[in-house]
Amino acid sequence: MLDGVKSLAKGMGTTLKALAEPRDTYPYPEKRREYSPRFRGKHMLAKDEEGHELCVGCGLCEAVCPAHAIRVVAAEAPGDEPVSWTSRYAVDYEVDLIRCIFCGMCEEACPTNAVRLTPFNELAAYSREDMIADKEELLRPAIRK
Amino acid sequence: MVKLTIDDQEIAVPSGTLVVDAAAKMGIEVPVYCYHQALGPLGACRMCLVQIEKMPKLQTACTTPVAEGMVVHTGGPAVEKARNGVLEFLLINHPLDCPVCDKGGECFLQDYAFRYGPSAGRFEEPKIQKLKDAPINEFVLIDQERCVLCQRCVRFMEEYVGEPQLMLEGRGVETVVTTVDHQPATSQFTGNIIDLCPVGALLSKPYLHKARPWNIERQESVCTMCPVGCTTLATGRDGRIVRIEGRPIPERSWGWLCDRGRFGYDYAIDPTRVTGSFLEGQPEAAARTTRRVGQWFTEVIAEHGPNSVAFVMGGMHTMEEARQLQRFATRAVGTSRLAISRDVPGYLPRALNGTFQDIESSDAIVLVGVDPYEAIPVVHLRLRERQKALPGMRLYGVAPRSLTRDTLPVNSLLTHVGEEAALLAAALRLAAGDHPAVRALGEAAVASHIDQEQLTGLSAALLESEQLTLLWDGQEPEVESVLVALATVRGDKPTRVLPTWGPSNWRGFELAGFPARIEALTEVLEDAKAGKIQMLVLWGCDLLREYPDQQLVRDAYAKVPFLVAEGLFPPSEAERFHAIVPQAGPGEVMGTYVNMEARLQIANPSVQPPGQARPTKTYVTAWAHALNQTFRDEEDWDPYDESGDLLPMQPLEQAIKPLTAALAVKEGQFELVTGVLVIENGIPSAILKPRKPEYPGRISVPDAEALGIADYGVVRISKNDHEIEVPVSVDPAMTPGRVYVPLGMASMPVNAVGTGWVEVIRLEEVHSA
Ligand code: SF4
Ligand code: SF4
Ligand code: SF4
Ligand code: SF4
Ligand code: FES
Repeated sequence: MLDGVKSLAKGMGTTLKALAEPRDTYPYPEKRREYSPRFRGKHMLAKDEEGHELCVGCGLCEAVCPAHAIRVVAAEAPGDEPVSWTSRYAVDYEVDLIRCIFCGMCEEACPTNAVRLTPFNELAAYSREDMIADKEELLRPAIRK
Repeated sequence: MVKLTIDDQEIAVPSGTLVVDAAAKMGIEVPVYCYHQALGPLGACRMCLVQIEKMPKLQTACTTPVAEGMVVHTGGPAVEKARNGVLEFLLINHPLDCPVCDKGGECFLQDYAFRYGPSAGRFEEPKIQKLKDAPINEFVLIDQERCVLCQRCVRFMEEYVGEPQLMLEGRGVETVVTTVDHQPATSQFTGNIIDLCPVGALLSKPYLHKARPWNIERQESVCTMCPVGCTTLATGRDGRIVRIEGRPIPERSWGWLCDRGRFGYDYAIDPTRVTGSFLEGQPEAAARTTRRVGQWFTEVIAEHGPNSVAFVMGGMHTMEEARQLQRFATRAVGTSRLAISRDVPGYLPRALNGTFQDIESSDAIVLVGVDPYEAIPVVHLRLRERQKALPGMRLYGVAPRSLTRDTLPVNSLLTHVGEEAALLAAALRLAAGDHPAVRALGEAAVASHIDQEQLTGLSAALLESEQLTLLWDGQEPEVESVLVALATVRGDKPTRVLPTWGPSNWRGFELAGFPARIEALTEVLEDAKAGKIQMLVLWGCDLLREYPDQQLVRDAYAKVPFLVAEGLFPPSEAERFHAIVPQAGPGEVMGTYVNMEARLQIANPSVQPPGQARPTKTYVTAWAHALNQTFRDEEDWDPYDESGDLLPMQPLEQAIKPLTAALAVKEGQFELVTGVLVIENGIPSAILKPRKPEYPGRISVPDAEALGIADYGVVRISKNDHEIEVPVSVDPAMTPGRVYVPLGMASMPVNAVGTGWVEVIRLEEVHSA
């Protein structure tokens, strides 16, 4: 009998102690966790200070991707208006976020540091098409709402 | 044979062999930049340094011939240090361009730097900046920063092609490759320098930034633009062919291409290409069109018998496709009316057919009618190579226009139109007049004024040479008899002929069972004109553009109730056709092409046919079905049965027919001369457009003056109520009294007037340059 009361008190003690401790869970989505800047989430394509795209469409990320998730189509910059910082740029750049395994190899392979994996990880959509991020989408890095 | 040791292995090679080639024979790769077998040694890049025992310093393997007992080391600390140094120097001013460089991934600078080079350079000063992506011409760009100054491109143009349009400019680190006078290079062989350049300095403009080596697929293919049938590699990406490269064949071909073949691949995506079916001029579903045509077959055969159907083969089809159509025609339909679309009337018995190797060993070559530079460009390079190897080689031309060029001096004998056979016969009579074969040719007189000395020279070339090769454009059918007589007179001494006419695969069509002589086609057309043909099926050909007598084609078309065409492009006057179905072209089907050497060459497909385009088999299977027959393709027919990739020789048994008299010379009239211009062979290309001559006709300087044409103008050429309008340019190489119009141009169909004597008047002066 006494033993029972003792263990009950011990159990309640643990519960009461935990009540006062800081929490490990978050009330998502009201509150969100801050990830390390090195977190490998959704990709982005960076630009330089003058607004030129860093990606030159070299296709190395495409080649290195173990999941074949990237598609790059390069072209010569139209007219005298450079899109990237050289005369070659990517007209088409797609990442299939369903295929991607977020290994970060593309980021590592990129000679211009154009493709980067951001901490953004809220990847959900109603259709497969919406999970293919095109160039335009990647050029405006996703912001968590 | 000389014995030497390379890397501890012994080898015996012919004397005069260079160390680099001897090593290559043993499978030892010595890195090279400037050396290329076709161009010979130069010793400019120092990449090939090797150590040779008893020589105090390292030697360049590309300039050192082998010697008895030589001991060569292609590795070791000294060689490695030297290579390392050479590469460090090369990279001093080399930009960090690999990610944006089209050669990246297939570049010898990358490969060698990776294998032999230093991991980092010590040079920290800013790199010298030079021109990037500057045009060499419409097709080739140069990035001078990436150039390693190996001079392959310069030497190829200057020494090999003989058109020195590239040069080195500047000194020391400022040296750059550029065009002479900074004018665009006009040669038709410029594309080859892209293949030759070991680094990414010379780039293909249409391919610029299109793909990287890892996202393309290269397929071995064959160029079908002309009967030379150069071997190619087709690069496919995303369902399109985006590049054509040369494919060298050891001991046989350097892999050169002309710009027509290299850059003309975009016909496959040309907006004029037929990719859907048409029934009575209206777009129609493929299945319905095929079914309707099947019904026509059934009805026509039921009502008029199988022989009221005729098939004409042409275009860029494979031999297998020709065989399928032939089997369908003869077995399912049961007709005997077959023909090949021909644009010139000549025919060459296979007994006389030569190969390119014959050119390489001939001591006399005679061009009959054909200008190789314009009609069969890569053969022009082969002829040049032979002329350089044997400076005393007898090279004659017999044609109604001068065939000599700066790059290939020819003793050109100028005949009247239609007198080539008579002139050749006259040359034969000169030295072998008593031979029965020559007597069988008769005594047709020659009206052309030929220098007696020239004629004796030609006669000697024809009869006294040890090995004789002739190139013949087939415009004059009687030449065949002369060639047979010539071969008979020469007996054991080899006499070989290369037929230079199209369609490029006509030998393949012939092998598949289509009669190749033009008489078969003429008969089909005459029968059609006489109302004996109810259904005419044209496979890939455009008779109005091709057949020498346009009027006959027109008359024939008018009498045929069912005109059916298959092809890559709509035939001329497409509205006359009752059904048009799309063709799957070269690069889209697998098959064999037989070139002018009678050599069988396989082409692999790179891409899928666009739209509704289907290979021949799809159509014939469906139509056979309509005729209640099963079309089976598997059979014992193997074109390679006979003798591997070269069709076997046949005994020469053609009869020699007496020559007819030439056309009478008509005072005050012009002679219309024609010939193939490969860039205007009827296959459209947006890439090649800037190269197509705006004024393809040609007249001589005095005639231009008389007609009041300064540099360019438009003339009307007429004969017997038929006329064509031809934009002409003034050509100093033209003979007065003659006008030249390329063969088979839809906008100025020579076959509407026919060659020979014509009237020429000026229409208007367009402008003068
Ligand atoms: S993102 Fe980087 S690696 Fe990928 S294509 Fe662009 S430049 Fe090349
Ligand atoms: S030439 Fe070769 S080494 Fe130079 S940028 Fe191009 S790929 Fe790189
Ligand atoms: S452009 Fe290319 S082929 Fe020509 S010299 Fe430079 S590296 Fe050699
Ligand atoms: S020579 Fe003829 S076959 Fe060769 S690349 Fe040129 S067009 Fe093609
Ligand atoms: S390859 Fe021998 S010096 Fe260039």
